[in-house]
Amino acid sequence: MFEKDIYQLIRGLRSHKGNEREYIQDSLRECRREIKSQDMDHKATALMKLVYLEMFGHDMSWASFNVLEVMSSPKYIQKRVGYLAAVQSFRPDTEVLMLAENLLKKDLNSPDKVTIGLPLGAIPHVINASMANSLLTDLIPRLSHSLPAIRKKTIVTLYRLALVYPETLRPAWPKIKDRLLDENEDPSVTAAIVNVVCELGWRRPQDFLSLAPRLFELLTAGGNNWMAIKIIKLFSTLTPLEPRLVKKLLPPLTSIIKTTPAMSLLYECINGIIQGGIMEAAEGTTDGDEVARLCLSKLRAMLVVEGDPNLRYVALLAFAKITSSHAELVSQHQDVILECIDDADISIRTRALDLVVDMINANNLQTVVERLLKQLRTAGKAPEPTDPTTEDRGTHDGIVPRADEDDEEMQASIRPKEQKPNTAPPLPDDYRTSVIERILEMCSRATYAHMSDFEWYIGVLVDLVKQCPSSPATGNFGSHHTTASKDRPPNVADAVGAELLNVAVRVKAVRPDAAAAAQNLLSSDRRPDFFPSAGSGGQAVLASAAFIAGEYASLLPDAEAVLTSLLQSSASTQQLQASVLASYLQALPKLFAVLTTRDPHAPWTSTRRTTTMLLIARIVHFLEPLTLHPDLDVQERAVEYLDLMRLAAEAAASQQTDDDEESGGGGSSYAAEPPLLLTQAIPSLFSGMELNPVAHAALRKVPQPEGLDLAAPINGSLQMLLRQADDYDTDTDEANDEVYKFYYDKPSSSVAAGYQRPAAELLEPPTSASKSKAASASYQDAETEPLDREAAERKRAERRERYKDDPYYIDSERASGTSTPTPMHNILRSSSNGEELDVDAIPVMELQLDSKDIPAAPRAPSANDKKKKRPRRHFEIAGDETLEGGDDMPSVSSSASLSSKATAGARGTKKPSLLEVDSSGLSALSLSDDAAARSGATGRFDVERRQAEEEEMARAIREVERLRLEMQRAQERIQPRGALAEEGVVVTRKKVRKKKKVDTLSEEPAAAAADDDDGEEGGTAVKKKRRKKRKEGGEDSVASEKPAADERDSEVPVKPKRKKKRQVTFDDDDTVE
Amino acid sequence: MINAVLVFNNNGQPRLTKFYTQLDTAVQQRLLSEIFALVAARPNSACNFLPLPPLLAPPTGSSTASEQNDAPSLVTYRHYATLYFILISTSTESPLALLDLIQVFVEALDRLFENVCELDLIFNFETLHAVLGEMIVGGVVVETGLEKVVEGVKAQGRVAKRPVNEGRVGLTQGIWAGR
Repeated sequence: MFEKDIYQLIRGLRSHKGNEREYIQDSLRECRREIKSQDMDHKATALMKLVYLEMFGHDMSWASFNVLEVMSSPKYIQKRVGYLAAVQSFRPDTEVLMLAENLLKKDLNSPDKVTIGLPLGAIPHVINASMANSLLTDLIPRLSHSLPAIRKKTIVTLYRLALVYPETLRPAWPKIKDRLLDENEDPSVTAAIVNVVCELGWRRPQDFLSLAPRLFELLTAGGNNWMAIKIIKLFSTLTPLEPRLVKKLLPPLTSIIKTTPAMSLLYECINGIIQGGIMEAAEGTTDGDEVARLCLSKLRAMLVVEGDPNLRYVALLAFAKITSSHAELVSQHQDVILECIDDADISIRTRALDLVVDMINANNLQTVVERLLKQLRTAGKAPEPTDPTTEDRGTHDGIVPRADEDDEEMQASIRPKEQKPNTAPPLPDDYRTSVIERILEMCSRATYAHMSDFEWYIGVLVDLVKQCPSSPATGNFGSHHTTASKDRPPNVADAVGAELLNVAVRVKAVRPDAAAAAQNLLSSDRRPDFFPSAGSGGQAVLASAAFIAGEYASLLPDAEAVLTSLLQSSASTQQLQASVLASYLQALPKLFAVLTTRDPHAPWTSTRRTTTMLLIARIVHFLEPLTLHPDLDVQERAVEYLDLMRLAAEAAASQQTDDDEESGGGGSSYAAEPPLLLTQAIPSLFSGMELNPVAHAALRKVPQPEGLDLAAPINGSLQMLLRQADDYDTDTDEANDEVYKFYYDKPSSSVAAGYQRPAAELLEPPTSASKSKAASASYQDAETEPLDREAAERKRAERRERYKDDPYYIDSERASGTSTPTPMHNILRSSSNGEELDVDAIPVMELQLDSKDIPAAPRAPSANDKKKKRPRRHFEIAGDETLEGGDDMPSVSSSASLSSKATAGARGTKKPSLLEVDSSGLSALSLSDDAAARSGATGRFDVERRQAEEEEMARAIREVERLRLEMQRAQERIQPRGALAEEGVVVTRKKVRKKKKVDTLSEEPAAAAADDDDGEEGGTAVKKKRRKKRKEGGEDSVASEKPAADERDSEVPVKPKRKKKRQVTFDDDDTVE
Repeated sequence: MINAVLVFNNNGQPRLTKFYTQLDTAVQQRLLSEIFALVAARPNSACNFLPLPPLLAPPTGSSTASEQNDAPSLVTYRHYATLYFILISTSTESPLALLDLIQVFVEALDRLFENVCELDLIFNFETLHAVLGEMIVGGVVVETGLEKVVEGVKAQGRVAKRPVNEGRVGLTQGIWAGR
């Protein structure tokens, strides 16, 4: 039953405040019912309501067949609803689309001009490649419709056709072009064509060069600003192909710039001059100089003008396009551009920021950065990350049409009205992030080429830490998903930290400053300064700070305080990310080493022993709880260093002090030495070669050692070992231990067996070999162990032999020769696995050596050298290290080609942007005249040819059908009922019956009569046949085109096969006519 | 070309959605609310260009300029009383000209409804579609002349006013602020 019309639905929605959802569901149910109604009015109304609700996100794809029904309504009002519903609700997978094709064709050929407009508007939304071809034949005649409105819509529809099926443009283009060239054409049609040509133009500009004179004429004629803009845009793609156009275009463009009252046209003129390369092309000529000056002054004026932020925005866009080619011209306007950085509008700021990054040089870097910093400091941080879902109703559930709050407001006439406060909102986090990233980018550009004051830069970096936006969801402490911390998206604080580290590593001169900055950052009593909010946005920087503090511990102003801060962080470990904590752990022993060896010659007194013991005790206290940390990295480091510390404590406790010896009355006269473990062994773990920056591509250049087969298994019996390990696990009762149980499933975990092993083993880096060693040691696997050792020994000897003269190769013996042998080193060296350690170390050491020999910087070697020598800058910036080699260039280019290949691959599979209409198909389609002529010479256009063929076929079929009917009639007239000519009778009767069925009314009073006559007329079959043949021959001579197959058919008229055929041809006939 | 035309009110309730590519209803709604979130945060003094909403943001990694020409890169809006008019377009359109286009659209509506207000558009959204259909077909602008647009819509039949009992007729006639 018909319930309510669209007005009632809307009114109902407005009056059901609070329970809209329910009301909508009710209405939808109602619509489902109504749309099945036989009454077209009800159907259309229901559809209208569905379209309205679809706007609010209520799917109506289920109604697609009903849409089609309404579309085919003879009433325009209903038809219009149907078409609107089709446009709004049809999706690529809508199946009824195939059925719509005939309807669209029919409506395109409608005599009613309003009706024609409906399919024209709808086709662009629903078109697909298979429909495009068949609709083309109906669309092309519409190009010459008497109404301009229909002509212009047809042109655009043809363009959309070409987007899905480019071939369709070939027959359509000449006609569109004729329209464009026709001076008597309605101006609005011309404008529509220009719009389409502009869309086509950038894909294949060469095809449209021939139109240049006409377009030029239209441009100078003026009148329609929109069209003029489009023409200028089109010209800007044409000028690179036809340099002569530049000279031609300059005068009109200049005059437009000077005279037009329309700001949009003025802007697009400038934009066209920039994009079309007219500025470069005309450089040097007086006109060219004038135009360049004119453009820039206008752009500058746009930036300065008060009260129109839009102009400022677009002017910045235009400036950004010039910077790549005319950087110096743009930097003349630095002052106004820099003003825009502080604009209240974030859109403008972002544009200005993009522009400024390209304008930066050594002179303005500091000013710009200070300015940005000030902006960050003064603008309040965005309120604590509010969940947008709670803020915006329906961000994720779709928008529910709500009962409207007040009608007063809705009745307000739609005209600009200042309504919202004009205050700038606090900086959003993503803008904040991008400012920080830009600052880092500007400062570090080209390996700090513009940087002249690194102390200042470190200050900036520390400042930036405070400005990092707080990021949600830190501290995955407690979650056993250990990888989460590593997979978390890179934080901008990471970038700041990386920069701090980078400066510390590259610029020796400011290392003390960097270390001091790190101390400040780490210091726990200053924590509230740097990380004020609960959100730990800047905390990621702590990892880098801890690394600096550890690595350059000797440069720290107060190493002890840093150590204390690190240890105190245990109180707040809950807040620290695992990666930061891991970095802390790594810094601890380094700091410890520095603290204990500060004065290498100081005697080992009992005071010193006590201090050392105390220090160790504090570290142990810190480390102990961390051995159970859920993050494996943290846990492993904690376990390792915990044992190291225990070892150190043992050594310190057992070492005799001065006082002891004196009181013991020993005869030794020299002062007691501190334990070697503390003075030599532990520091040697962390000192050694200095760390240097390494180029990204360097690793790729490390030559592969001969005979290195990465595919070969390191240990052939690994599988067996693992199996045995498993067996062992299940057999022993050691699993009762709680810690062990916790790791029951991870036998390779370092904690599992780590507690009671000799310290020497713990000192080894956890290489795969050491693990297998550990496994074999604890699991008493006597079988494989000697074998391994033997093989390793042999390999090692071989390698030493091979690399004897290789300067890049560092032998473990040779390398360790630099430090005094200690018990620790003996242990290390005598271990059969010491060798494996070297394997890991090779690339690093090689690079190190290399850097001494070859001062090659990969990115910009010459610039780098220059920089080093530049006297005015006293900072020495270490360039990236890499391997030298003649293949430097090839490897760079290969990496470039690799990346380009990667992007090409990405492009191939690239997901198109959401709303994108892909026009790439057009790029392969040539529309130029000669191409058209060529295809014209070889024959008709594909489509036209097919059309002609179809027509011919239809004609032939009609002809055949007519002949057969004639024959049949004649036959029936002749054939006597009594003449039982064998099979003939039966078949004839069947035939007649069939015929009646097929078309009862049209022709067969005669046939019926013939049927009756059959018996009376005493003709023979022979006679009949002869007659028919005669007739056949006569027709043949007339209708020469008749296909042979049909001829054969009609010659043998009485065959069941033929009957079948006949029916088919009838059907065909119907559809054709 | 123009990829989508959206009209919604100050609460983000859609009054017109027109996408020139076929898009899932749910995705349409998400895009709508993303854009509303962007636009609602802007003061009136701000410029009329929006950054791309997350759904439309180009995939990270560079792509060539010619590809970018096909992808929507410009979100232009204008705010009239209770309504936001939004155009999403590619770089082949001129930003300032699009602002004028919105102006023409609104003026045409005003002409047809005589002092148009949001209620007119709610109740006559079919007419709203008709006006748009006279200006933009398949994402390409076919008419920018106010007279011709109005003529075209009127040729399709009488433009209904909103039901009479739906409140008083709009407020005083004012002058359109054009750019």
